[in-house]
Amino acid sequence: MVQTIAALIRKELLQIRRDRIMLRLIFIMPLVQLLVLGYAVSTDVKFIGMAVHDCDRSSLSREFVRSFSAGDYFIPRDSGLPLLEIERGFQENAYDAVLIIPPDFSKTLAAGGAARAGFIVDGTNANAAAISLGYAGIITAQFNGRTASREVPISLRQKVLYNPEGESIYFMVPGIIAVLLTMITVMLTAMAIVRERELGTLEQLVVTPISTPALILGKTIPFAILGFVEMSIALAFGVLWFKIPFAGSWPLLYALAFIFLFTTLGVGMFISTATRTQQQAMFFSWFFSIYTILTSGFFIPIANMPAAVQYLTYLNPLRYFMKIVRSRNASSSSCGR
Amino acid sequence: MENAVVLDRLTKRFGRFTAVDEISLSVRTGEIFGFLGANGAGKTTAIRMLCGLLLPTSGSGSVAGFDIYRRSEQIKLNIGYMSQKFSLYGDLTGYENLWFYGSVYRIPAGSLKARIGELASSLELEEFIRRPARSLPTGWRQRLALAAALLHRPRILFLDEPTGGVDPVFRRRFWEILYRLADGGTTLFVTTHYMDEAEFCGRISIMHQGRIVAAGNPQELMRTYGQNNLQDTFVHLISRGGADA
Ligand SMILES: Nc1ncnc2c1ncn2[C@@H]1O[C@H](COP(=O)(O)OP(=O)(O)OP(=O)(O)O)[C@@H](O)[C@H]1O
Ligand SMILES: [Mg+2]
Repeated sequence: MVQTIAALIRKELLQIRRDRIMLRLIFIMPLVQLLVLGYAVSTDVKFIGMAVHDCDRSSLSREFVRSFSAGDYFIPRDSGLPLLEIERGFQENAYDAVLIIPPDFSKTLAAGGAARAGFIVDGTNANAAAISLGYAGIITAQFNGRTASREVPISLRQKVLYNPEGESIYFMVPGIIAVLLTMITVMLTAMAIVRERELGTLEQLVVTPISTPALILGKTIPFAILGFVEMSIALAFGVLWFKIPFAGSWPLLYALAFIFLFTTLGVGMFISTATRTQQQAMFFSWFFSIYTILTSGFFIPIANMPAAVQYLTYLNPLRYFMKIVRSRNASSSSCGR
Repeated sequence: MENAVVLDRLTKRFGRFTAVDEISLSVRTGEIFGFLGANGAGKTTAIRMLCGLLLPTSGSGSVAGFDIYRRSEQIKLNIGYMSQKFSLYGDLTGYENLWFYGSVYRIPAGSLKARIGELASSLELEEFIRRPARSLPTGWRQRLALAAALLHRPRILFLDEPTGGVDPVFRRRFWEILYRLADGGTTLFVTTHYMDEAEFCGRISIMHQGRIVAAGNPQELMRTYGQNNLQDTFVHLISRGGADA
Protein backbone atom coordinates (compact mmCIF):
# COMPACT_ATOMS: atom_id res chain seq x y z
CA MET A 1 0.00 0.00 0.00
CA VAL A 2 2.69 2.45 1.06
CA GLN A 3 4.90 1.55 -1.89
CA THR A 4 1.99 1.95 -4.28
CA ILE A 5 0.98 5.33 -2.87
CA ALA A 6 4.59 6.53 -2.89
CA ALA A 7 4.93 5.44 -6.53
CA LEU A 8 1.78 7.34 -7.47
CA ILE A 9 2.88 10.49 -5.65
CA ARG A 10 6.28 10.34 -7.31
CA LYS A 11 4.73 9.86 -10.72
CA GLU A 12 2.21 12.64 -10.22
CA LEU A 13 4.87 15.15 -9.11
CA LEU A 14 7.15 14.08 -11.95
CA GLN A 15 4.37 14.73 -14.45
CA ILE A 16 3.69 18.17 -13.04
CA ARG A 17 7.39 18.97 -13.16
CA ARG A 18 7.46 18.03 -16.85
CA ASP A 19 4.52 20.26 -17.66
CA ARG A 20 5.91 23.76 -18.20
CA ILE A 21 2.53 25.42 -18.51
CA MET A 22 1.25 23.75 -15.40
CA LEU A 23 4.33 24.79 -13.46
CA ARG A 24 3.81 28.37 -14.50
CA LEU A 25 0.18 28.18 -13.53
CA ILE A 26 1.04 26.82 -10.13
CA PHE A 27 3.97 28.99 -9.17
CA ILE A 28 3.81 32.23 -11.13
CA MET A 29 0.08 32.80 -11.11
CA PRO A 30 -0.10 33.25 -7.32
CA LEU A 31 2.62 35.90 -7.38
CA VAL A 32 0.96 37.78 -10.22
CA GLN A 33 -2.39 37.54 -8.51
CA LEU A 34 -0.97 38.75 -5.21
CA LEU A 35 0.75 41.69 -6.86
CA VAL A 36 -2.19 42.75 -8.98
CA LEU A 37 -4.88 42.31 -6.37
CA GLY A 38 -2.64 43.44 -3.54
CA TYR A 39 -1.85 46.74 -5.20
CA ALA A 40 -5.26 47.21 -6.80
CA VAL A 41 -6.68 47.84 -3.36
CA SER A 42 -4.16 50.46 -2.34
CA THR A 43 -4.77 53.30 -4.79
CA ASP A 44 -5.11 56.94 -3.79
CA VAL A 45 -8.36 57.89 -2.16
CA LYS A 46 -9.57 61.49 -2.59
CA PHE A 47 -12.79 63.50 -2.85
CA ILE A 48 -14.68 61.35 -0.41
CA GLY A 49 -18.31 62.38 -0.21
CA MET A 50 -19.04 63.14 3.43
CA ALA A 51 -22.49 63.83 4.85
CA VAL A 52 -22.52 66.15 7.82
CA HIS A 53 -24.95 66.04 10.70
CA ASP A 54 -24.16 69.11 12.66
CA CYS A 55 -26.58 69.08 15.57
CA ASP A 56 -24.62 71.73 17.41
CA ARG A 57 -24.61 74.43 14.73
CA SER A 58 -22.11 76.58 16.60
CA SER A 59 -19.17 78.47 15.10
CA LEU A 60 -16.83 75.90 16.58
CA SER A 61 -18.64 72.98 15.03
CA ARG A 62 -18.71 74.76 11.67
CA GLU A 63 -14.99 75.36 11.93
CA PHE A 64 -14.45 71.69 12.72
CA VAL A 65 -16.47 70.70 9.62
CA ARG A 66 -14.60 73.20 7.47
CA SER A 67 -11.29 71.70 8.49
CA PHE A 68 -12.42 68.50 6.78
CA SER A 69 -12.65 70.18 3.40
CA ALA A 70 -9.01 71.23 3.38
CA GLY A 71 -6.79 69.27 1.04
CA ASP A 72 -9.47 67.77 -1.24
CA TYR A 73 -9.85 64.67 0.85
CA PHE A 74 -13.42 65.16 1.94
CA ILE A 75 -16.32 66.94 0.32
CA PRO A 76 -18.64 67.81 3.18
CA ARG A 77 -22.29 68.25 2.31
CA ASP A 78 -25.62 68.16 4.04
CA SER A 79 -27.01 64.68 3.93
CA GLY A 80 -30.63 65.75 3.77
CA LEU A 81 -31.52 62.52 5.51
CA PRO A 82 -32.62 62.07 9.09
CA LEU A 83 -29.87 60.84 11.35
CA LEU A 84 -31.49 57.42 11.76
CA GLU A 85 -31.47 56.79 8.01
CA ILE A 86 -27.87 57.56 7.23
CA GLU A 87 -27.37 53.95 6.07
CA ARG A 88 -29.68 54.70 3.15
CA GLY A 89 -27.12 57.18 1.86
CA PHE A 90 -24.47 54.47 1.91
CA GLN A 91 -26.73 52.09 0.07
CA GLU A 92 -27.62 54.69 -2.54
CA ASN A 93 -23.96 55.67 -2.81
CA ALA A 94 -24.85 59.28 -1.99
CA TYR A 95 -21.74 59.50 0.19
CA ASP A 96 -19.10 57.24 1.72
CA ALA A 97 -18.65 58.84 5.12
CA VAL A 98 -20.73 60.60 7.73
CA LEU A 99 -19.59 63.11 10.31
CA ILE A 100 -21.88 63.50 13.31
CA ILE A 101 -21.51 66.38 15.73
CA PRO A 102 -23.64 66.03 18.87
CA PRO A 103 -25.71 69.02 20.16
CA ASP A 104 -23.50 69.53 23.20
CA PHE A 105 -20.29 69.71 21.17
CA SER A 106 -19.28 73.33 21.76
CA LYS A 107 -20.85 73.52 25.19
CA THR A 108 -18.76 70.59 26.42
CA LEU A 109 -15.64 72.09 24.95
CA ALA A 110 -16.35 75.46 26.47
CA ALA A 111 -16.86 73.81 29.84
CA GLY A 112 -13.43 72.21 29.47
CA GLY A 113 -14.84 68.70 28.92
CA ALA A 114 -13.90 66.16 26.27
CA ALA A 115 -16.16 66.69 23.30
CA ARG A 116 -17.01 63.85 20.99
CA ALA A 117 -17.81 63.61 17.34
CA GLY A 118 -18.87 60.57 15.36
CA PHE A 119 -17.33 59.44 12.10
CA ILE A 120 -18.89 56.56 10.14
CA VAL A 121 -17.53 55.14 6.90
CA ASP A 122 -18.94 52.68 4.39
CA GLY A 123 -16.67 49.69 4.71
CA THR A 124 -17.76 47.98 1.48
CA ASN A 125 -14.61 49.28 -0.08
CA ALA A 126 -12.35 48.24 2.76
CA ASN A 127 -9.40 50.11 1.44
CA ALA A 128 -11.12 53.45 0.91
CA ALA A 129 -12.72 53.10 4.31
CA ALA A 130 -9.44 52.53 6.05
CA ILE A 131 -7.87 55.51 4.32
CA SER A 132 -10.83 57.78 5.14
CA LEU A 133 -10.45 56.82 8.77
CA GLY A 134 -6.81 57.73 8.64
CA TYR A 135 -7.51 61.15 7.14
CA ALA A 136 -10.26 61.86 9.63
CA GLY A 137 -7.96 60.98 12.49
CA ILE A 138 -5.24 63.29 11.23
CA ILE A 139 -7.64 66.17 10.56
CA THR A 140 -9.02 65.89 14.07
CA ALA A 141 -5.55 65.81 15.56
CA GLN A 142 -4.59 68.93 13.59
CA PHE A 143 -7.75 70.68 14.65
CA ASN A 144 -6.92 69.85 18.25
CA GLY A 145 -3.41 71.18 17.71
CA ARG A 146 -4.66 74.48 16.30
CA THR A 147 -6.90 75.03 19.27
CA ALA A 148 -4.29 73.73 21.64
CA SER A 149 -5.32 76.06 24.42
CA ARG A 150 -7.87 73.44 25.38
CA GLU A 151 -6.62 70.83 27.77
CA VAL A 152 -9.06 68.15 26.75
CA PRO A 153 -9.27 67.79 22.99
CA ILE A 154 -12.01 66.48 20.80
CA SER A 155 -11.97 62.76 20.57
CA LEU A 156 -13.24 61.27 17.36
CA ARG A 157 -15.25 58.11 17.79
CA GLN A 158 -14.95 56.13 14.63
CA LYS A 159 -17.03 53.29 13.31
CA VAL A 160 -16.81 51.26 10.14
CA LEU A 161 -20.10 49.91 8.90
CA TYR A 162 -20.33 46.60 7.04
CA ASN A 163 -16.69 45.70 7.14
CA PRO A 164 -15.48 46.51 10.60
CA GLU A 165 -12.20 44.67 10.16
CA GLY A 166 -11.48 46.62 6.99
CA GLU A 167 -7.75 46.67 6.41
CA SER A 168 -6.82 47.07 2.82
CA ILE A 169 -3.68 45.14 2.02
CA TYR A 170 -3.48 43.33 5.32
CA PHE A 171 -6.96 42.17 4.67
CA MET A 172 -6.74 41.34 0.97
CA VAL A 173 -3.47 39.47 0.81
CA PRO A 174 -4.36 36.71 3.28
CA GLY A 175 -7.69 36.44 1.49
CA ILE A 176 -5.94 35.95 -1.84
CA ILE A 177 -3.84 33.22 -0.28
CA ALA A 178 -6.98 31.37 0.78
CA VAL A 179 -8.51 31.81 -2.68
CA LEU A 180 -5.39 30.52 -4.40
CA LEU A 181 -5.22 27.50 -2.16
CA THR A 182 -8.83 26.68 -2.98
CA MET A 183 -8.50 27.11 -6.72
CA ILE A 184 -5.26 25.21 -7.13
CA THR A 185 -6.22 22.22 -5.04
CA VAL A 186 -9.74 21.85 -6.42
CA MET A 187 -8.65 22.15 -10.02
CA LEU A 188 -5.59 19.93 -9.87
CA THR A 189 -7.43 17.16 -8.05
CA ALA A 190 -10.41 17.49 -10.35
CA MET A 191 -8.10 16.75 -13.27
CA ALA A 192 -6.30 13.90 -11.54
CA ILE A 193 -8.49 10.94 -12.48
CA VAL A 194 -10.44 12.27 -15.42
CA ARG A 195 -7.27 13.20 -17.26
CA GLU A 196 -6.06 9.63 -17.10
CA ARG A 197 -9.47 8.39 -18.12
CA GLU A 198 -9.45 10.64 -21.16
CA LEU A 199 -5.89 9.76 -22.16
CA GLY A 200 -6.58 6.04 -21.68
CA THR A 201 -3.85 5.58 -19.09
CA LEU A 202 -6.39 4.82 -16.39
CA GLU A 203 -7.15 1.52 -18.09
CA GLN A 204 -3.58 0.35 -17.65
CA LEU A 205 -3.64 1.45 -14.03
CA VAL A 206 -6.88 -0.35 -13.25
CA VAL A 207 -5.59 -3.74 -14.49
CA THR A 208 -2.88 -3.57 -11.84
CA PRO A 209 -3.68 -4.83 -8.34
CA ILE A 210 -3.85 -1.25 -7.08
CA SER A 211 -6.60 -0.77 -4.47
CA THR A 212 -9.13 2.03 -4.63
CA PRO A 213 -8.01 3.70 -1.36
CA ALA A 214 -4.40 3.61 -2.57
CA LEU A 215 -5.42 5.14 -5.89
CA ILE A 216 -7.39 7.92 -4.22
CA LEU A 217 -4.66 8.69 -1.68
CA GLY A 218 -1.98 8.58 -4.35
CA LYS A 219 -4.04 10.98 -6.41
CA THR A 220 -4.74 13.52 -3.65
CA ILE A 221 -1.58 13.63 -1.53
CA PRO A 222 0.52 15.19 -4.33
CA PHE A 223 -1.96 18.04 -4.61
CA ALA A 224 -2.05 18.53 -0.86
CA ILE A 225 1.72 18.87 -1.00
CA LEU A 226 1.46 21.36 -3.85
CA GLY A 227 -1.20 23.25 -1.94
CA PHE A 228 1.14 23.67 1.00
CA VAL A 229 4.02 24.72 -1.22
CA GLU A 230 1.76 27.25 -2.90
CA MET A 231 0.48 28.57 0.40
CA SER A 232 4.01 28.91 1.75
CA ILE A 233 5.17 30.85 -1.29
CA ALA A 234 2.21 33.18 -1.03
CA LEU A 235 2.66 33.63 2.72
CA ALA A 236 6.34 34.33 2.36
CA PHE A 237 5.52 36.88 -0.31
CA GLY A 238 2.89 38.46 1.87
CA VAL A 239 5.15 38.75 4.87
CA LEU A 240 8.37 39.73 3.08
CA TRP A 241 7.01 41.91 0.30
CA PHE A 242 3.77 43.32 1.63
CA LYS A 243 5.16 43.35 5.17
CA ILE A 244 2.04 41.87 6.64
CA PRO A 245 2.52 41.58 10.37
CA PHE A 246 1.97 37.99 11.36
CA ALA A 247 0.86 37.63 14.92
CA GLY A 248 -0.58 34.13 15.04
CA SER A 249 1.00 30.71 15.28
CA TRP A 250 2.47 29.17 12.14
CA PRO A 251 1.87 25.54 13.17
CA LEU A 252 -1.75 26.34 13.95
CA LEU A 253 -2.24 28.07 10.61
CA TYR A 254 -0.82 25.06 8.76
CA ALA A 255 -2.84 22.62 10.83
CA LEU A 256 -6.03 24.51 10.05
CA ALA A 257 -5.06 24.72 6.38
CA PHE A 258 -4.56 20.95 6.44
CA ILE A 259 -8.11 20.49 7.71
CA PHE A 260 -9.38 22.92 5.10
CA LEU A 261 -7.61 20.98 2.33
CA PHE A 262 -9.73 17.93 3.07
CA THR A 263 -12.73 19.83 1.75
CA THR A 264 -11.14 21.09 -1.47
CA LEU A 265 -9.34 17.84 -2.24
CA GLY A 266 -12.53 15.91 -1.53
CA VAL A 267 -14.55 18.09 -3.87
CA GLY A 268 -11.83 17.85 -6.53
CA MET A 269 -11.74 14.07 -6.26
CA PHE A 270 -15.52 13.91 -6.47
CA ILE A 271 -15.51 16.04 -9.63
CA SER A 272 -12.75 13.93 -11.11
CA THR A 273 -14.60 10.65 -10.66
CA ALA A 274 -18.01 11.99 -11.62
CA THR A 275 -17.00 13.54 -14.94
CA ARG A 276 -16.05 11.95 -18.25
CA THR A 277 -13.85 14.61 -19.80
CA GLN A 278 -11.34 17.16 -18.60
CA GLN A 279 -13.53 19.88 -20.04
CA GLN A 280 -16.43 18.86 -17.83
CA ALA A 281 -14.13 18.66 -14.83
CA MET A 282 -12.78 22.14 -15.56
CA PHE A 283 -16.28 23.52 -15.83
CA PHE A 284 -17.39 22.00 -12.55
CA SER A 285 -14.31 23.13 -10.66
CA TRP A 286 -14.76 26.67 -11.98
CA PHE A 287 -18.35 26.65 -10.92
CA PHE A 288 -17.42 25.37 -7.49
CA SER A 289 -14.53 27.82 -7.07
CA ILE A 290 -16.53 30.86 -8.10
CA TYR A 291 -19.42 29.97 -5.83
CA THR A 292 -17.01 29.28 -2.99
CA ILE A 293 -15.07 32.50 -3.42
CA LEU A 294 -18.12 34.71 -3.83
CA THR A 295 -19.80 33.40 -0.71
CA SER A 296 -16.66 33.31 1.40
CA GLY A 297 -16.64 36.98 2.28
CA PHE A 298 -13.50 37.52 0.21
CA PHE A 299 -14.84 40.51 -1.77
CA ILE A 300 -18.25 41.08 -0.30
CA PRO A 301 -18.63 40.93 3.46
CA ILE A 302 -21.02 38.17 4.47
CA ALA A 303 -22.97 40.61 6.64
CA ASN A 304 -23.81 42.51 3.45
CA MET A 305 -25.50 39.54 1.82
CA PRO A 306 -29.22 38.78 1.90
CA ALA A 307 -30.20 36.63 4.87
CA ALA A 308 -30.88 33.53 2.76
CA VAL A 309 -27.45 33.73 1.15
CA GLN A 310 -25.88 34.26 4.55
CA TYR A 311 -27.24 30.89 5.63
CA LEU A 312 -25.89 29.37 2.43
CA THR A 313 -22.40 30.55 3.31
CA TYR A 314 -22.37 28.22 6.29
CA LEU A 315 -22.02 25.40 3.76
CA ASN A 316 -18.92 26.97 2.35
CA PRO A 317 -15.66 25.70 3.82
CA LEU A 318 -13.74 28.68 2.46
CA ARG A 319 -15.91 31.00 4.55
CA TYR A 320 -14.29 29.58 7.67
CA PHE A 321 -10.80 29.40 6.29
CA MET A 322 -11.07 32.98 5.03
CA LYS A 323 -11.85 34.05 8.55
CA ILE A 324 -8.95 32.02 9.86
CA VAL A 325 -6.29 33.46 7.55
CA ARG A 326 -7.55 36.98 7.93
CA SER A 327 -7.68 36.91 11.68
CA ARG A 328 -4.38 35.10 12.02
CA ASN A 329 -2.64 37.65 9.92
CA ALA A 330 -4.53 40.80 10.60
CA SER A 331 -5.05 40.52 14.31
CA SER A 332 -2.03 42.51 15.35
CA SER A 333 -2.44 45.31 12.86
CA SER A 334 -6.15 46.01 13.04
CA CYS A 335 -6.22 46.98 16.69
CA GLY A 336 -4.17 50.07 15.82
CA ARG A 337 -7.33 51.83 14.72
CA MET B 1 -4.06 -26.21 -14.25
CA GLU B 2 -5.22 -27.25 -17.71
CA ASN B 3 -7.01 -24.13 -18.95
CA ALA B 4 -5.78 -20.57 -18.54
CA VAL B 5 -9.03 -19.00 -19.71
CA VAL B 6 -12.49 -20.54 -19.72
CA LEU B 7 -15.58 -18.66 -20.89
CA ASP B 8 -19.13 -19.90 -20.81
CA ARG B 9 -21.84 -17.90 -22.62
CA LEU B 10 -20.18 -14.65 -21.62
CA THR B 11 -22.33 -11.67 -22.64
CA LYS B 12 -22.00 -7.90 -22.52
CA ARG B 13 -24.78 -5.50 -23.41
CA PHE B 14 -24.49 -1.73 -23.62
CA GLY B 15 -28.09 -0.65 -23.23
CA ARG B 16 -29.95 -2.57 -25.92
CA PHE B 17 -26.83 -3.23 -27.98
CA THR B 18 -25.18 -6.60 -27.45
CA ALA B 19 -21.44 -6.19 -27.93
CA VAL B 20 -20.48 -9.70 -26.82
CA ASP B 21 -23.12 -12.36 -27.36
CA GLU B 22 -22.80 -15.61 -25.40
CA ILE B 23 -19.24 -16.49 -26.29
CA SER B 24 -17.78 -19.72 -24.96
CA LEU B 25 -14.16 -20.80 -25.37
CA SER B 26 -11.23 -22.20 -23.50
CA VAL B 27 -7.55 -21.40 -23.82
CA ARG B 28 -4.99 -23.98 -22.73
CA THR B 29 -2.12 -23.01 -20.48
CA GLY B 30 0.97 -22.14 -22.48
CA GLU B 31 -0.75 -21.76 -25.85
CA ILE B 32 -0.87 -18.78 -28.18
CA PHE B 33 -4.53 -18.07 -28.79
CA GLY B 34 -5.49 -15.79 -31.66
CA PHE B 35 -8.69 -13.85 -30.96
CA LEU B 36 -9.73 -12.67 -34.40
CA GLY B 37 -12.71 -10.75 -35.65
CA ALA B 38 -13.93 -7.86 -37.76
CA ASN B 39 -13.89 -4.29 -36.50
CA GLY B 40 -16.52 -3.85 -33.82
CA ALA B 41 -16.91 -7.63 -33.39
CA GLY B 42 -16.50 -7.26 -29.64
CA LYS B 43 -12.91 -8.44 -29.11
CA THR B 44 -11.80 -5.52 -26.96
CA THR B 45 -15.00 -5.69 -24.94
CA ALA B 46 -14.44 -9.40 -24.26
CA ILE B 47 -10.81 -8.85 -23.21
CA ARG B 48 -11.82 -6.00 -20.92
CA MET B 49 -14.21 -8.33 -19.15
CA LEU B 50 -11.48 -10.93 -18.74
CA CYS B 51 -9.07 -8.37 -17.25
CA GLY B 52 -11.58 -7.09 -14.71
CA LEU B 53 -12.06 -3.71 -16.43
CA LEU B 54 -15.68 -4.33 -17.29
CA LEU B 55 -18.41 -6.32 -15.54
CA PRO B 56 -20.16 -8.89 -17.78
CA THR B 57 -23.92 -8.72 -18.20
CA SER B 58 -24.30 -12.49 -17.95
CA GLY B 59 -22.45 -15.76 -18.44
CA SER B 60 -19.43 -16.95 -16.54
CA GLY B 61 -15.71 -17.07 -16.95
CA SER B 62 -12.46 -17.75 -15.20
CA VAL B 63 -8.93 -16.53 -15.79
CA ALA B 64 -5.92 -18.33 -14.30
CA GLY B 65 -8.45 -20.41 -12.38
CA PHE B 66 -10.11 -17.39 -10.75
CA ASP B 67 -13.73 -16.40 -11.25
CA ILE B 68 -14.01 -13.15 -13.20
CA TYR B 69 -16.85 -11.82 -11.03
CA ARG B 70 -15.47 -12.49 -7.60
CA ARG B 71 -11.70 -12.88 -7.81
CA SER B 72 -10.63 -10.02 -10.02
CA GLU B 73 -7.95 -9.00 -7.51
CA GLN B 74 -6.30 -12.41 -7.88
CA ILE B 75 -6.68 -12.25 -11.64
CA LYS B 76 -4.94 -8.89 -11.76
CA LEU B 77 -1.89 -10.32 -10.03
CA ASN B 78 -1.60 -13.05 -12.65
CA ILE B 79 -2.22 -11.25 -15.90
CA GLY B 80 -0.52 -8.70 -18.06
CA TYR B 81 -2.56 -6.46 -20.35
CA MET B 82 -1.56 -4.41 -23.32
CA SER B 83 -4.48 -2.30 -24.46
CA GLN B 84 -5.31 -1.51 -28.06
CA LYS B 85 -4.59 2.15 -27.46
CA PHE B 86 -1.14 3.06 -26.13
CA SER B 87 -1.76 3.68 -22.46
CA LEU B 88 1.56 4.44 -20.81
CA TYR B 89 2.39 7.98 -19.72
CA GLY B 90 3.67 9.87 -22.74
CA ASP B 91 5.31 12.60 -20.70
CA LEU B 92 7.38 10.14 -18.71
CA THR B 93 10.37 8.26 -20.07
CA GLY B 94 10.21 4.54 -20.68
CA TYR B 95 12.27 3.92 -17.58
CA GLU B 96 10.00 6.07 -15.43
CA ASN B 97 6.95 4.28 -16.78
CA LEU B 98 8.46 0.87 -16.04
CA TRP B 99 9.61 1.97 -12.60
CA PHE B 100 6.15 3.26 -11.81
CA TYR B 101 4.34 0.10 -12.91
CA GLY B 102 6.92 -2.10 -11.20
CA SER B 103 6.27 -0.27 -7.92
CA VAL B 104 2.53 -0.54 -8.38
CA TYR B 105 3.01 -4.32 -8.80
CA ARG B 106 4.93 -4.15 -5.52
CA ILE B 107 8.23 -5.36 -6.94
CA PRO B 108 10.95 -4.44 -4.40
CA ALA B 109 13.21 -1.64 -5.63
CA GLY B 110 16.32 -3.84 -5.80
CA SER B 111 14.84 -6.55 -7.98
CA LEU B 112 12.84 -4.02 -10.00
CA LYS B 113 16.02 -2.41 -11.25
CA ALA B 114 17.35 -5.76 -12.38
CA ARG B 115 14.02 -6.71 -13.94
CA ILE B 116 13.84 -3.50 -15.97
CA GLY B 117 17.39 -4.04 -17.17
CA GLU B 118 16.57 -7.59 -18.16
CA LEU B 119 13.43 -6.63 -20.09
CA ALA B 120 15.16 -3.69 -21.75
CA SER B 121 17.86 -5.95 -23.10
CA SER B 122 15.59 -8.82 -24.17
CA LEU B 123 13.24 -6.38 -25.93
CA GLU B 124 16.22 -4.34 -27.25
CA LEU B 125 14.87 -1.20 -25.62
CA GLU B 126 18.06 0.10 -23.98
CA GLU B 127 18.63 2.99 -26.36
CA PHE B 128 15.09 4.24 -26.08
CA ILE B 129 14.28 3.79 -22.47
CA ARG B 130 15.46 7.26 -21.42
CA ARG B 131 13.31 9.06 -23.94
CA PRO B 132 9.79 10.35 -23.26
CA ALA B 133 7.41 7.58 -24.26
CA ARG B 134 5.43 9.88 -26.51
CA SER B 135 8.48 10.57 -28.68
CA LEU B 136 9.08 6.89 -29.51
CA PRO B 137 8.26 5.42 -32.93
CA THR B 138 5.21 3.12 -32.83
CA GLY B 139 7.21 -0.10 -32.89
CA TRP B 140 9.32 0.87 -29.90
CA ARG B 141 6.32 2.20 -28.09
CA GLN B 142 4.60 -1.17 -28.44
CA ARG B 143 7.67 -2.93 -27.10
CA LEU B 144 7.73 -0.59 -24.15
CA ALA B 145 4.07 -1.35 -23.48
CA LEU B 146 4.89 -5.05 -23.67
CA ALA B 147 7.73 -4.58 -21.19
CA ALA B 148 5.33 -2.83 -18.80
CA ALA B 149 2.87 -5.70 -19.10
CA LEU B 150 5.62 -8.25 -18.43
CA LEU B 151 7.28 -6.65 -15.38
CA HIS B 152 5.58 -8.84 -12.81
CA ARG B 153 6.04 -12.06 -14.85
CA PRO B 154 2.33 -12.68 -15.50
CA ARG B 155 1.15 -16.20 -16.31
CA ILE B 156 -1.33 -14.96 -18.89
CA LEU B 157 -0.81 -12.08 -21.26
CA PHE B 158 -3.69 -10.28 -22.99
CA LEU B 159 -2.52 -8.38 -26.04
CA ASP B 160 -5.12 -6.29 -27.83
CA GLU B 161 -3.77 -5.60 -31.33
CA PRO B 162 -0.18 -5.27 -30.15
CA THR B 163 1.10 -4.80 -33.70
CA GLY B 164 -1.43 -2.28 -34.97
CA GLY B 165 0.40 0.28 -37.11
CA VAL B 166 3.74 -1.52 -36.83
CA ASP B 167 5.92 -2.24 -39.88
CA PRO B 168 6.43 -5.85 -41.12
CA VAL B 169 10.01 -6.19 -39.88
CA PHE B 170 9.02 -5.00 -36.46
CA ARG B 171 5.99 -7.25 -36.44
CA ARG B 172 8.12 -10.28 -37.23
CA ARG B 173 10.48 -9.43 -34.37
CA PHE B 174 7.60 -8.75 -32.02
CA TRP B 175 6.24 -12.22 -32.74
CA GLU B 176 9.62 -13.78 -32.10
CA ILE B 177 9.45 -12.26 -28.65
CA LEU B 178 5.95 -13.64 -28.15
CA TYR B 179 7.14 -17.11 -29.17
CA ARG B 180 9.93 -16.95 -26.64
CA LEU B 181 7.39 -16.02 -23.95
CA ALA B 182 5.13 -18.92 -24.93
CA ASP B 183 8.12 -21.27 -24.79
CA GLY B 184 8.68 -20.00 -21.27
CA GLY B 185 5.17 -21.13 -20.33
CA THR B 186 3.25 -17.87 -20.62
CA THR B 187 -0.25 -18.12 -22.08
CA LEU B 188 -0.88 -15.55 -24.79
CA PHE B 189 -4.30 -14.22 -25.73
CA VAL B 190 -3.76 -12.04 -28.80
CA THR B 191 -6.05 -10.08 -31.08
CA THR B 192 -4.88 -9.10 -34.52
CA HIS B 193 -6.14 -8.11 -37.94
CA TYR B 194 -3.06 -9.58 -39.68
CA MET B 195 -3.68 -13.07 -40.99
CA ASP B 196 0.01 -13.92 -41.26
CA GLU B 197 0.20 -13.37 -37.52
CA ALA B 198 -2.89 -15.47 -36.96
CA GLU B 199 -1.14 -18.37 -38.66
CA PHE B 200 1.51 -18.24 -35.92
CA CYS B 201 -1.16 -19.04 -33.34
CA GLY B 202 -1.79 -22.53 -32.02
CA ARG B 203 -5.52 -21.95 -32.11
CA ILE B 204 -7.74 -19.10 -33.18
CA SER B 205 -11.33 -18.02 -32.86
CA ILE B 206 -13.11 -15.72 -35.28
CA MET B 207 -15.69 -13.30 -33.96
CA HIS B 208 -18.40 -11.49 -35.83
CA GLN B 209 -21.05 -9.19 -34.39
CA GLY B 210 -20.48 -10.35 -30.84
CA ARG B 211 -20.42 -14.08 -31.63
CA ILE B 212 -17.68 -16.61 -32.20
CA VAL B 213 -18.40 -17.98 -35.63
CA ALA B 214 -15.52 -20.47 -35.79
CA ALA B 215 -12.66 -21.73 -33.64
CA GLY B 216 -9.80 -24.16 -34.01
CA ASN B 217 -6.34 -24.66 -35.41
CA PRO B 218 -5.73 -22.27 -38.35
CA GLN B 219 -4.84 -25.08 -40.80
CA GLU B 220 -7.87 -27.10 -39.76
CA LEU B 221 -10.15 -24.13 -40.24
CA MET B 222 -8.82 -23.54 -43.76
CA ARG B 223 -9.51 -27.19 -44.61
CA THR B 224 -12.97 -27.22 -42.99
CA TYR B 225 -14.13 -24.22 -44.98
CA GLY B 226 -12.30 -25.28 -48.18
CA GLN B 227 -10.15 -22.17 -48.46
CA ASN B 228 -6.51 -21.83 -49.57
CA ASN B 229 -5.42 -19.35 -46.98
CA LEU B 230 -6.53 -17.84 -43.68
CA GLN B 231 -7.42 -14.51 -45.24
CA ASP B 232 -10.02 -16.16 -47.50
CA THR B 233 -11.27 -18.27 -44.62
CA PHE B 234 -11.77 -15.13 -42.53
CA VAL B 235 -13.55 -13.25 -45.33
CA HIS B 236 -15.69 -16.32 -46.10
CA LEU B 237 -16.76 -16.66 -42.45
CA ILE B 238 -17.43 -12.99 -41.91
CA SER B 239 -19.47 -12.53 -45.07
CA ARG B 240 -21.41 -15.73 -44.36
CA GLY B 241 -21.96 -14.54 -40.77
CA GLY B 242 -23.13 -11.20 -42.17
CA ALA B 243 -25.70 -12.96 -44.36
CA ASP B 244 -26.96 -14.86 -41.33
CA ALA B 245 -27.49 -11.77 -39.27
N1 LIG C 1 -18.69 1.51 -23.48
C1 LIG C 1 -19.40 1.23 -24.58
N2 LIG C 1 -20.67 1.67 -24.71
C2 LIG C 1 -21.40 1.40 -25.80
N3 LIG C 1 -20.95 0.67 -26.82
C3 LIG C 1 -19.70 0.17 -26.75
C4 LIG C 1 -18.86 0.44 -25.63
N4 LIG C 1 -17.67 -0.18 -25.82
C5 LIG C 1 -17.77 -0.79 -27.03
N5 LIG C 1 -18.98 -0.58 -27.58
C6 LIG C 1 -19.45 -1.10 -28.85
O1 LIG C 1 -19.30 -2.50 -28.83
C7 LIG C 1 -18.91 -2.98 -30.11
C8 LIG C 1 -17.68 -3.84 -29.97
O2 LIG C 1 -16.56 -3.00 -29.68
P1 LIG C 1 -15.12 -3.57 -29.46
O3 LIG C 1 -14.24 -2.43 -29.18
O4 LIG C 1 -15.16 -4.67 -28.47
O5 LIG C 1 -14.80 -4.17 -30.89
P2 LIG C 1 -13.43 -4.76 -31.41
O6 LIG C 1 -13.73 -6.14 -31.86
O7 LIG C 1 -12.37 -4.61 -30.42
O8 LIG C 1 -13.17 -3.86 -32.67
P3 LIG C 1 -11.78 -3.31 -33.28
O9 LIG C 1 -11.25 -4.37 -34.16
O10 LIG C 1 -12.19 -2.12 -34.06
O11 LIG C 1 -10.90 -2.99 -32.13
C9 LIG C 1 -18.69 -1.75 -30.98
O12 LIG C 1 -19.84 -1.60 -31.80
C10 LIG C 1 -18.59 -0.63 -30.01
O13 LIG C 1 -19.10 0.54 -30.56
MG1 LIG D 1 -10.63 -3.61 -30.30
